[in-house]
Parts: sequence; C-alpha cells; structure tokens
Amino acid sequence: MEKITEKIREIAKLALENGEVEKIIGWNKGDTFDDSYPVFITDVDDADSLIWDNFCVNNLSKYLIQQLKVSKKIGVFLKGCDSRGFSQIVKDNRIDRDKVVIYGLSCPGMIDPEKVKKEGLHKRLLSVKRSGNELIFIKKDGEQKASAEEFEYDKCLQCRYPNPVVYDQLLTEPVDREVKTLERFKDVENLEALSSEERSAYWVDQFSKCIRCNACRNICPACSCEKCVFDNEKADVSGKAKADSEEQFYHIIRAYHVAGRCVECGECSRVCPAGIPLHKLNSKIIKDINELYGDYDAGVDPSEEAPIGTYKLDDSDSFTEHGGEKK
Amino acid sequence: MMKKILKNQFSQLFSMIDKSYELFLPIEKEGKVNFDLWQEGDKVNIEKLKTSISPKSVIFPQSETYLKFKRDGKKLELENVGGKKEDYVLFGVKHCDAKSFQILDNVFLEEPVDRLYEERREKGTIVSMACFNPEETCFCSSFGIEPETASKEVDVTTWDMGDSILWNPQTQKGEKLTEKIKDVLEDATEQDKSELNALQEDTKQKVKELPLANIDPTKITGELNDLFDSKIWEELSQRCLGCGSCTYVCPTCHCYDISDFKGDTSGERFRCWDSCMFSDFTLMAHGNIRKTQKERFRQRFMHKLVYYPNNHEGVYACVGCGRCVEKCPVHLDIVKVIKKLGGEK
Repeated sequence: MEKITEKIREIAKLALENGEVEKIIGWNKGDTFDDSYPVFITDVDDADSLIWDNFCVNNLSKYLIQQLKVSKKIGVFLKGCDSRGFSQIVKDNRIDRDKVVIYGLSCPGMIDPEKVKKEGLHKRLLSVKRSGNELIFIKKDGEQKASAEEFEYDKCLQCRYPNPVVYDQLLTEPVDREVKTLERFKDVENLEALSSEERSAYWVDQFSKCIRCNACRNICPACSCEKCVFDNEKADVSGKAKADSEEQFYHIIRAYHVAGRCVECGECSRVCPAGIPLHKLNSKIIKDINELYGDYDAGVDPSEEAPIGTYKLDDSDSFTEHGGEKK
Repeated sequence: MMKKILKNQFSQLFSMIDKSYELFLPIEKEGKVNFDLWQEGDKVNIEKLKTSISPKSVIFPQSETYLKFKRDGKKLELENVGGKKEDYVLFGVKHCDAKSFQILDNVFLEEPVDRLYEERREKGTIVSMACFNPEETCFCSSFGIEPETASKEVDVTTWDMGDSILWNPQTQKGEKLTEKIKDVLEDATEQDKSELNALQEDTKQKVKELPLANIDPTKITGELNDLFDSKIWEELSQRCLGCGSCTYVCPTCHCYDISDFKGDTSGERFRCWDSCMFSDFTLMAHGNIRKTQKERFRQRFMHKLVYYPNNHEGVYACVGCGRCVEKCPVHLDIVKVIKKLGGEK
C-alpha cells in the first residue's frame, strides 16, 4: 500500500500541475491508527499528504455533487464499491461524468476498527500494515501479526466488486479475491424465516435504537436529493422526535427511496452510532428485485435499464397475482 | 469512610437499589453498551469505558413531552407533564460524563430555571466510576479531568478493583443510598487503599502517553472576531456530512427543538434534541442565518470552545470523552478543530 501511496501522490501532483484537474479528492492520515479521512487538495504541495491504507473506507464520490458546483474538473480516487456509488450518482443525473477524472484503486478490503478494539489490539497501536492476507499491527511496544480476514469489515468480506467498475486510470493490479456469494443474502434469509410478527418485532426493536442523527442518509451515495423530504419543513414529516413511529417511518421511506439504487456499500450500517443493521433492509429489497426482475447490480453498468425505474408490460406483478396477499 | 462491595454481590446490590429507586445502568445489547433502566436479567457491563450514547440522555431525555392538550367543544384542557417523579440512581458514570452534567447545569439551572431538567437532577443520585483504562480516543486530561480520581460532581464515587469496587459517598443523597445498601458493604482495608493508589499512579502515566494528550484548548488565544473569521471553518467544513452524530453522542450538546404531535381534538407538546449541524436548525420566518455547512460547523465549535467559556468562567463545553472522534463518519471531530486553532501543547 505504501507503493500505491507514492503513486497517488505523483498522479495528484501531475494532474494539478498540468491543469488536468482543479482539485483532487483523496485521503489524509490523522492521529489515531484508524483515522484516514477525506481531503480536498488544490495546492500541489499538499499532494504529499495523500495516503492509501487499510482505513480509507470513505467513498469520496458523493462529495463531487457539491464540489463540482465550484470546480470545473476534479480528480478522485475510487475503490470498487466507491465506483458503483459514483456510477449511480451519474445515473441519477447528479453529476457530469466528463468533469471527473477517476483514479481507480483495487481494494483488498478495509479494516474494521471495531474488530481491532474487540481484540484489544488498539491500545498503544500506532499503525496497521497489510502484506497479502496478513496484517501487521505496529504497536509502541512491538509488532503483532494476524490474518486480515479476521479484521476486515463484514461488508468487505462479502464484497463482489473489489475492482473499480469505472475509471480513467487504474493505479493497482486488479484484486482477485474469492467471495462467498452463497452467503450474500444469508442475513435476509434468516429474517425471512421468521414469522411476520417476529420480523416486525425485530425491526421495531432495531428502529427504536435510532437517535435521528441522519448519518445513514448523509453518507449514502443513493441519497443525493437536493433537499430531503425529512429536511423539508413544508412536508410536515421533518420531525426530530425520538418516537417509534417517526423512526420507523424515516427508515422505511429511506429504504424504499433507494430501492434499485442501493450499491450495497454498507456505509449506512457502518456509520450508525446506534448499531442498527440498516443494510439488511436494502439487502431484502435487492433480493426481491433480483427474484422479480432478474439479477441487477446498481451502479455497475450505467447503460443497463434500472428495474425499478423502467416499466415493461411483462414486468412481474406479484402483488396483483397474489391478490394483495402474502406470497 | 470508604467502603467496598464484592462484584459477586452485584445482583444483590442492584436488587437492593431497585427496591427504593429506579436504577439506570450501562446495559449491553447486541454488542453496544448504553445507560438504560435496569431489569432483572439485563447484561450489565461496567467494564466498557464509553457507552455509545452519553448518559446525558438520562438527565436530559432525547424526547420529552411536557404538555398535553385536549379540546372538548369550546373548552381546552391543558395538562403539565414530563420531568421526573421517581427517585433514581444512575450508576457507573465516568468522570468525563459526570463533568458534562455540570456543564448542562450551568445552562439549565441558571435563571430562568428549566423545570423539567431541575426535577430530573433533584431526583437523581449519581454514582460515578473512575477509569483506569483510558482509550486512544480519550483526551479528558486536556480539560483538567483526572479520570482516576473521585469526580466532585457526583453523590458517590466508585473504583473498579477487579473483584470488587470501592465505594465512597460524598453527599447527603450519597449517604442515603449507602444506608440502603449497607448489607452488601464492607469496610475498605488499608491494602485496598494502597492498591487503589497504585492503580491511580499507573493511570496517570497511561493518560500522559495517550495519542491525544497534547491537546490544550487554553492555547487557543485570538480575539473572538478573528477566530470567527478564521479560514479553518471553510477548509474543515468541506468534508462535514451535515449529520448530527457528533451532536447526539456528545455529552455536552444541549440544544433542543419544540414541536407538537397534533391530533384532531388532542395533542402533545414535546421537546427533543436538535443539532446545529442540521440545515433547518436556525430556520426562521425570514429565512436562515446559517446558510451553508460552514456556518453550522463553525457554530458548533465556537460554542464549545469560545462562547461557552466566555459565559461560564473559562469552562469549555467539551470534556474530552472522544465519542465524536469515534463516531464521526468522516473523522471530523473537535480534536482536529482545536489543533487547527493552535490548541496544542
């Protein structure tokens, strides 16, 4: 990853110097081992602060919506999952593809700081390096090695797109990783196996943990409305109360609004301070879409017709077929 | 006099408290620990250093209905509700969170006194637990907190000694609670006290070595207007998502909104936490004075680091708990702001 960091810096410098782009969006490193954060660079000298490491989990593509209002051309570093988010934002007509230069990064999987903490490895931890499938924890008092698989985000362990689906320049060798696709909908299947009462109780309990912070919405690449209905004081649904009915309403509306556009990046669950497994809602809808309209991965091929956004006469109509009853 | 309770008597202790008080404890559910009303069978976790959400939610609930109204023909019935009628014990509050209560007191207990808040504070007996294992995201020492010592702000202070806890009442409320649980108390020995001293010395050293130990807000000088016009707000706020996770996990944020649940003939008026990071926070009839995230972002940190200390004898509205450091989806937290403003030793 250090070599790629060098490459990132070179490319950023070059692109800024020769005026190919006005701004670069990448990652910088902060004080703690897991602190890799988004940064916007216009000055060539700042390019040396760019990094690529095991904690560059943030998708930088959503920033393009705002940044392209003030910059004509922007260079951005995108991982596999990020690139799907990017394509979806393009498909949703929120940005102009031609104003972006994409530097693609194949991703070995990002490391979950919560898992590091759970093992108690975060104490006196300076940094985490990766060599193949091995992680090296560099601590104040020595080094410790472990298998990367044990520390990757759950969402990364299930990633089907480690390599960017769209890019102008690929900075890495493609990653070839074995993915347990069979387990892709395991969480959903476990929920489907419950009775509707049990399922309802499960979600009522989960939503009751919500603290109304909107982090899930604001990180989501599919949530790109100019003004969200929940921020629109005229819509009469912009309440901030911690009340079950409002929490349920918010999450269900959001899940339906990103239906067919969710790129499965799992960021909603990652950022939730209350630990609600929000991605399961989206997973359920994706599974249903696949079963009803054929396999579809949002944000992979922008030319492909979106199943929810396109009406066909022979579309599956399970609701009418079953007379509104449960299948 | 310092007392001691063996941990294998905790279930008795909790049942005893539960007889005379409502009991709020750090309770673990699906891997997350938060303060909640204890019920027999709950998984109590006092080892976890930081609860996900701060215990401020006990003294200042996220949503609280305080007025109910009902229309009956031409008659309108109003009923004051809310506040707290039952005595309660909040057990296991860390030093940083205990200090945050004082920061909220400065706001809510000043004239005009907030009736709902005052009642909750009066009904509560706060039991703190000192901390011997600060985490990498902690920087309470930057705000003058010594996490291993007894917090002055609470009714009883305790120390986790492994197999037992040491118990030291500091107020009348604390003595009253101590009296109620005397059956599980024994006197702390000289050996307990010397073990405590050793743990405290060890903690002091750990605190000094933390990665954020060099944060020093007193180094932020500069005139208010210069700080307000600083370039850092534009630069830092660019990556702010405008969500409220920092605000809602923060033990010192205390802004709220007032709204109604409306029905045809009845309704409720409630207040609930609000966040200055939200786009509608300062929305008024004439428009919004904070139009972009830059102004909202600046407000949050100017409030904590400049306005609040200006109004409250130099006390900052941050206790260095580090929850925002852990929870911000894009690692944009008060530490980065303090550093940019020159607040480093």
